Amino acid sequence: MTTTPEVKISRNLLHTWIPSVVAVLAVIGALILKSHIPGGELRAVATIFMFIALSQAWNIIGGFAGYASFGQVVFFGMGGYFTAVVMLKYHFSFWVAMPLSGLFAAVFAMLIGLPLLKLKGHYFAIATLGVAEGMREVVINLPDLTGGGAGISVPIAGTFAKTQYLGDGGFYLLFLGLAIFSVGIGTLVSRNKFGYGLRAIHQNEDAAAAVGINTVRSKVMAYGLSAFMTGMVGASYVFQQVTIFPERLFDVEITVLMIMMVVIGGSGTVIGPLLGALGLQFISEYLREHFTSGHTFILGLIIILAVILIPQGLVNYIREGRRTKQYSLLTNIRRYRL
Amino acid sequence: MDTFLQVTAYGLLQGGLLALVAVGFSLVWGIMNIVNLSHGAFVILGAYIAWEMQSWFGLDPFLGMFVSAAVLFCIGYVIQRYLINLIVNGPVFITLLLTFGINMIFIQSMNLIFTADFRSIQTSYGSNSLKIGAIHIPVVRLLAFLLAILISFALVAFVKRTRTGLSIMATGMDRGAARLMGIRARHVYAITFAISAALAGMAGTMIATIETFDPAKAGKFTLMAFVVAVLGGLGNLYGALVGGLLIGLVESWAGQYLSGTWVNGIAFLVLIIVLIFRPNGLVGKAFYAARVEL
Repeated sequence: MTTTPEVKISRNLLHTWIPSVVAVLAVIGALILKSHIPGGELRAVATIFMFIALSQAWNIIGGFAGYASFGQVVFFGMGGYFTAVVMLKYHFSFWVAMPLSGLFAAVFAMLIGLPLLKLKGHYFAIATLGVAEGMREVVINLPDLTGGGAGISVPIAGTFAKTQYLGDGGFYLLFLGLAIFSVGIGTLVSRNKFGYGLRAIHQNEDAAAAVGINTVRSKVMAYGLSAFMTGMVGASYVFQQVTIFPERLFDVEITVLMIMMVVIGGSGTVIGPLLGALGLQFISEYLREHFTSGHTFILGLIIILAVILIPQGLVNYIREGRRTKQYSLLTNIRRYRL
Repeated sequence: MDTFLQVTAYGLLQGGLLALVAVGFSLVWGIMNIVNLSHGAFVILGAYIAWEMQSWFGLDPFLGMFVSAAVLFCIGYVIQRYLINLIVNGPVFITLLLTFGINMIFIQSMNLIFTADFRSIQTSYGSNSLKIGAIHIPVVRLLAFLLAILISFALVAFVKRTRTGLSIMATGMDRGAARLMGIRARHVYAITFAISAALAGMAGTMIATIETFDPAKAGKFTLMAFVVAVLGGLGNLYGALVGGLLIGLVESWAGQYLSGTWVNGIAFLVLIIVLIFRPNGLVGKAFYAARVEL
């Protein structure tokens, strides 16, 4: 009995120290990497960072709270369009527009969250999908404000541009910053009371309410936080792309990618979505370069295999494996099959 | 007034087609709690098979659709039995991802085999139309509509009157209990999915006779099936019919009376309003909607 506290302390040290050290090393590595790779690759790596931020954002509402937001791209699109409009029409600096876009998306999320978060399971998924599709229509149909289907361009040079274009290196740093920010938020949420409340809601919402969690407020806040991060990423994406179109900015595929990364990595964890985004985006980029005609095919095959072999996600699989000393994939399949 | 009647008739016909696309999707979702994101790809594959049947053997699409249905029945059975069944007990998003992966493979394969060109099935009677009063009704659309209604009723009869159908219902209500009663759940799931795929193939053939199709359209049909199934509600096989007709009407009216591009958004607006006031869909049963997976 006397040794237990010591073991606990050393374990806790292990749990707090190692991830932070690895995180700092990873950031330093990313900064060193920046000066060693050419422009095109910088863009590709920046995209990886972008998806890390997006998957972390989705993880808060989808992974922790268990509400499968299938229309998450709406916050990406709205944040993006907010930035484009205020930079073009009101000559805002990008650095002001970006956080405001996040806030705009968050407020919107909280407003629609109040009615929508009463729905459960697939119904919530389809309702949010409906919001995203509807919003795209709204954007297309307000050509005076948003440029409609013809798209809109952000001023990046000249007298109208408050913020000059950042260039490949600049966007690399911007998306790296967003990724760090989102992983930080994810870590915070996962370790404090708010995050535990969300996990309780995920497991059993009635029971969570019974032990005194204000489920409505928690869910709406989680949705808002998730939208805030997604909106800021959308804003940065728009500035990077310069000219944007509603079809691209409200593309369902972006939502699907976020979900895939979270689920394959391990939903409800911080490291899972990070690894998922890193791995999937890397593989996808590699396949695009080396198998131009068949890359969707191979990506689909990889998704199917990953999903069948480790349905609970990579991180959760390793955690369970460490606890039970059982790593056999066959046993793993047996647990989830009919 | 004539315009209104014409638009309404057109909406109903379109609604029947949407119902046919959605009925299999709704069946799989209601019974197995699987949202099949590859449903649209099955629809398009059905269209391609019927197209090939016509170009190789001169087979009329209204016969060719049975070939489509048969081929997709087999494909559907194998996919459910040897892929989806493996993860049925996993977290719900896993099934979404798996079917999304299947969808990617199907679409890419169709792109490679059939190319991404637009195609449509031409028939000698394709441009004929009936005239009732001042309303024109295209014959092909009318046939497709009647077929959709017929299939909905046939499906209900099959599920309620046959042994296989009853075992499908029983498995949908309580899988554990059904297995204890000697129902082979793996087989029943595979059959259910196969029926759904076969119906998607038939729907695809109908669509091919009416409009052009290409692999990129698959996502649109999945989305439509999703909306129609939720709108009608799960657990009631007439749900897809009700949802399909409503969406068809609303879109048709919106297309006539609102300016151009608002049409697609309207369907989702209706959906969200219905979900807020009737969370189980228009005619769905609470049991199936409340079955929230963890």
